[in-house]
Amino acid sequence: MFSEGQIEILQAVVNRMIPPDDWPGGWEAGVGDYLFRQFERDLKGMVGLYQQGLDALEAEAQAAHGAGFARLSAEQQDMLLMQAERGTVQTTWPLDPPNFITMLAHHCAEGFYSDPDNGGNRDQIAWRMIGFEVRG
Amino acid sequence: MTTPYDVIIIGAGAGGGVAAGVLALAGKRVLLIERGRQLSFEEIGRDHLRNQRLSQYGHNAGPDIDGNPRTLEDGRIVRPHEPGYQNNAATVGSGTRVYGAQAWRFMPQDFRMASLYGVPAGSSLADWPISYDDLAPYYERVEWEIGVCGDHQAMTHLPAYNKPYPMPPLPPTTKAQVQRRGLAALGWQFLPVPLLINSIPYNDRPACIRCQHCVGFACPVDAKNDTQVTMIARALSSGNCTLVTGAMVERLTTDAGGRVTGIAYFDANGNRAEAQAEVVVVSAGAVETARLLLNSATPQEPNGIGNNSDQVGRHLQGHYYPRAVGLFEQPVQDWLGPGASTATCQFNHDNDGIIGGGMLADEFIVLPIIFWKRLLPPDLPRWGAANKQFMRDNYRRVTDITGPVQEIPSPDGRVTINPKVKDRYGIPVAHLSGTTHPETVRTAQFMVERAREWQQAAGAVKIWTNAPGLHLSGGQHQAGTARMGDDPATSVVDRWCKVHGHDNLYIADGSVHVTNCCFNPVLTIMSMAWRTAEHIAQVW
Repeated sequence: MFSEGQIEILQAVVNRMIPPDDWPGGWEAGVGDYLFRQFERDLKGMVGLYQQGLDALEAEAQAAHGAGFARLSAEQQDMLLMQAERGTVQTTWPLDPPNFITMLAHHCAEGFYSDPDNGGNRDQIAWRMIGFEVRG
Repeated sequence: MTTPYDVIIIGAGAGGGVAAGVLALAGKRVLLIERGRQLSFEEIGRDHLRNQRLSQYGHNAGPDIDGNPRTLEDGRIVRPHEPGYQNNAATVGSGTRVYGAQAWRFMPQDFRMASLYGVPAGSSLADWPISYDDLAPYYERVEWEIGVCGDHQAMTHLPAYNKPYPMPPLPPTTKAQVQRRGLAALGWQFLPVPLLINSIPYNDRPACIRCQHCVGFACPVDAKNDTQVTMIARALSSGNCTLVTGAMVERLTTDAGGRVTGIAYFDANGNRAEAQAEVVVVSAGAVETARLLLNSATPQEPNGIGNNSDQVGRHLQGHYYPRAVGLFEQPVQDWLGPGASTATCQFNHDNDGIIGGGMLADEFIVLPIIFWKRLLPPDLPRWGAANKQFMRDNYRRVTDITGPVQEIPSPDGRVTINPKVKDRYGIPVAHLSGTTHPETVRTAQFMVERAREWQQAAGAVKIWTNAPGLHLSGGQHQAGTARMGDDPATSVVDRWCKVHGHDNLYIADGSVHVTNCCFNPVLTIMSMAWRTAEHIAQVW
């Protein structure tokens, strides 16, 4: 479905959407597992869009820094994502850059903050971080 | 004609469930037919992305997302979990299975909106043909028979109750104590939100365990008084009620004279079937009830049963929910469910220059992903370190004040039939068009400011608000599409909720509401259904 290169970019993007701090980042917390589960189900129709968007981020990285997105520093990655969110991209995108970033943010939040049965939020890590306690 | 049934009831939700219970206990042989299935607590589950509160990818209590489309004015064909569909749950108990169970009586003024405020140009605002006093005994009956907790003496916006609630309110949460201080500082009325939830053991079922998955989900201990565990259970144990699930009614059947004889439906295996009865009660919810009547054309009523005055499907109403979200310095959330516990009815009426008003209350427990999608401050980045930090620091420091606004109905906000689009059975689907009246938006803007004042007085250090723009609402509070009235030219049912021009066809759901007032409508739907069913038992 995704090339190894695309998966690398996706992992980097997920970890900028929900970056590691003293709590795990999105990828470690299972957002990738959530996404790949959803790519077989509700987000099946979005796989093409994801591929296009990840490739476009890669092209932006090459144009701006002459290096792949996954190789950039966190600050450089954030800058490219912010530019895409504002629509100020340097290369030609086959999809709307702000919409792609909004979609990424929503899907990453779904994987991080929804119930672990959806594939992410490993061991309720996001709930423990924010202080949501399930009783009963 | 002898049939196995005296009464057929279409739809086992708030209205149909109550009607089935009242009629079966009165000795009538009842067929209760429901398009959804009976769902266990485990089947409804706790999926944070597929529930009645956030239906991002589906629903936990029906209907199935495939095979049940509706169409919208912009040409879109939408599935039940998608925006604009106006879904209500499809299962035994329907929306009551997954509701937050707020148990409000409408106010006396709510039955006389046109007389009190006049009729704004372009609106179909009208008085009900009955008054609060007509309905009050049924409110009381429902509060005791189905079970409401609350403090009747705090309901100072209403005439004095004849009986207290059968159960005391749930103890207040930390958040409620903060919000109550705000109301006290403002000198506004405050009251514990009345709930159709057992605060103490009642009717042989236990008390609420204060879990976090109340609204949008089923109750793990059956402390939530939905119609499935109350009136439908009583109907079934009487031996007089047959419950048929997974069955979709296609149309009402009639004799040569246009008199209703029963129903034609698809059973759970998709096979066509028919059933006859002396009386038919339609309680499928405001959208599906209108759809069924409109899909049941006869030579006498070529535009649908009850629709010779072109009223069926019009005046569709739900509720606008303006909100003010407040950030506090200290944590205010303690995760004691269901979460909604403090309200004010200070602004339901008597607001200068506003038609009606709204109730305000603190919100149910907001699940983390719903918080992320709906309650973050507008100036916060949607991703990155700052977003994560805000969630981490403030998820427990935020409260949401919101509440339903009195919608001013428009005849153009309506349900019609789309003959070009069919559901999985081949039945033409509901088409939704129009909006509420612009006066509703004005009221919502007014109420946003009141919610902001409340948050300020409670000590919020940052407040952000949301006032909805002009749109069509309905959803779980859907109402108005078969309005009640004495004049057949301007209404669909009479004061006993009998369809004009018919002697044996009744409606028992929110469709009959002339106006939907500024409260969650379920207690009124139940009370009206009780009144209608009692009337049917007496005259048939």
